[in-house]
Amino acid sequence: MKIALAQIAPRLGDVEANVEAHLGILAKARRQKAELVVFPELGLTGYTLKDLVEEVAMDPAGDPRFLRIVAATKGLAAVVGFVEESPSGRGLFHNAAAFLADGRLLHVHRKVFLPTNGMFEEAKFFAQGREFRAFEAPFGRAGLLICRDFLHYGASYVHYAAGADMIICISAAPGRGVEGGDAFGTSRMWELMGEAVAYFSTAFVVYGNRVGTEDGVTFAGGSFVFGPGGRRLAQAAYVDPDLLVCRIDLADVREARRKRLFKRDEKPEVVWRSLERIVRAAED
Amino acid sequence: MPPRIDAPFVEKVLVAFIRDEFARCRCAKGLLGLSGGLDSAVCAALAARALGPDNVLALIMPYGKAFPEDVRDAAGLARRLGLRHETIDIAPQIDAYFASRPKASRLRRGNKMARERMSVLYDRSAAEGGLVLGTSNKTELLIGYGTIYGDMACAINPMGDLYKTQVRELARHLRVPAAIREKTPTAGLWPGQTDEGEIGLSYEELDTILYGLVEGRKGRDAVVAEGHRPAAVDRVIRLIRRSEFKRHLPPIAKLSARSVGHDFLYPYDREG
Repeated sequence: MKIALAQIAPRLGDVEANVEAHLGILAKARRQKAELVVFPELGLTGYTLKDLVEEVAMDPAGDPRFLRIVAATKGLAAVVGFVEESPSGRGLFHNAAAFLADGRLLHVHRKVFLPTNGMFEEAKFFAQGREFRAFEAPFGRAGLLICRDFLHYGASYVHYAAGADMIICISAAPGRGVEGGDAFGTSRMWELMGEAVAYFSTAFVVYGNRVGTEDGVTFAGGSFVFGPGGRRLAQAAYVDPDLLVCRIDLADVREARRKRLFKRDEKPEVVWRSLERIVRAAED
Repeated sequence: MPPRIDAPFVEKVLVAFIRDEFARCRCAKGLLGLSGGLDSAVCAALAARALGPDNVLALIMPYGKAFPEDVRDAAGLARRLGLRHETIDIAPQIDAYFASRPKASRLRRGNKMARERMSVLYDRSAAEGGLVLGTSNKTELLIGYGTIYGDMACAINPMGDLYKTQVRELARHLRVPAAIREKTPTAGLWPGQTDEGEIGLSYEELDTILYGLVEGRKGRDAVVAEGHRPAAVDRVIRLIRRSEFKRHLPPIAKLSARSVGHDFLYPYDREG
């Protein structure tokens, strides 16, 4: 199976231009025989939206601009990042990721962990997602995460416990730290988590970040794929735009789980009971 | 000291930042004031790489015959980088204003000169259809060592997250001539003024203290415990507190349900 990581620089607040860019990349990835194309967090809108959030929001089941992208996934799959305002959640705006396959909308994940500290102010402008739910993708079971979700390892654990073969995180991670090498210091943080989650979940980890600048902030790029053995299978450019196409073998999940028995021996019920006790105690 | 920077990577990030900001405004031309000192030299070198030397207008704006070697160094750098450059003497405007205010302090005169240079830059930016590049570094911004609405005024600032000691590193990488790099830093407000003399600390010590307070989020006592003189640390903390107003737009008195600066919040870089 071939995966394409579309490491782009979306135009801030310009949905029409970003839709066209997504359609162009989908066509290009299709020519390269990619079966899954991963776009970054808020790729259809840009990241630093503030009060633009409601102007750029879309209903993924009804907005004609979004439906053009859904239709363009005939014969392949894509993960796209956008601002969701659904008919059932009118007036609630989510930082969302949609999984599209073969011209259909299969799943929407709403970002749960909205960073709101220092340079981040997502919870000022977005409603919070309330669930991590794995779903059946054409190639196996998958789980979606958005940026900061991935840095809370319980989020990946839920997908792992649900039997995900692939954890896909889309991101708009700004770079910080210029002390060494050809990358921002913070890129290491994502790679560390990617490697650990892939190794101990015995699942593929696909991380699609963006590039470009907004209001003085530079997005770090460095998208990657780790295999279920914890090996890095692909690494996109740091800071620069890239369309990285990488071949993976889905049989590696079985191979990894045969050799390392974390998944077989996992005890989600024990974790659940323990967490339940902790949460109850915190609420008392 | 703040950590060493990876200068080629910083150059890459800052050049991309300048290009992106200019592209968003559909603006090709950049302007900056070139003083003959380190910060404006580094900014000029970055702008030349980002926009092409033909698209950068460097204005050298001395007050009369003061600081002749700075004028020479600035013109030399502009020629070396291939920038368009022009020398404009601001003495007529300054002298006309202060003719009836002979008792004005040298600080007032220096600040007036900094604002006069800003005024010339903004006038020329309108004539050129260009944007003014700022040259304030992080050290200056943190301690407020700059003239508000003077040298601090700009459309974009590529340098504002680099401490002075880091600007020196970047200058070496950008091959800024040694004559500029090794010069004693001065705001040029009056002859004989030096930054370090006026601030009362070397840039190395100042940057080390600032780095501990800012990135390290350390308290006063923790920074003193690292071996700094308590008086020096107290002075830096005082300078930061006293200059907060220079790092903000002025507060707007809130009256309505949605007010500029409070809850009418849009990105600077909107496109489309």
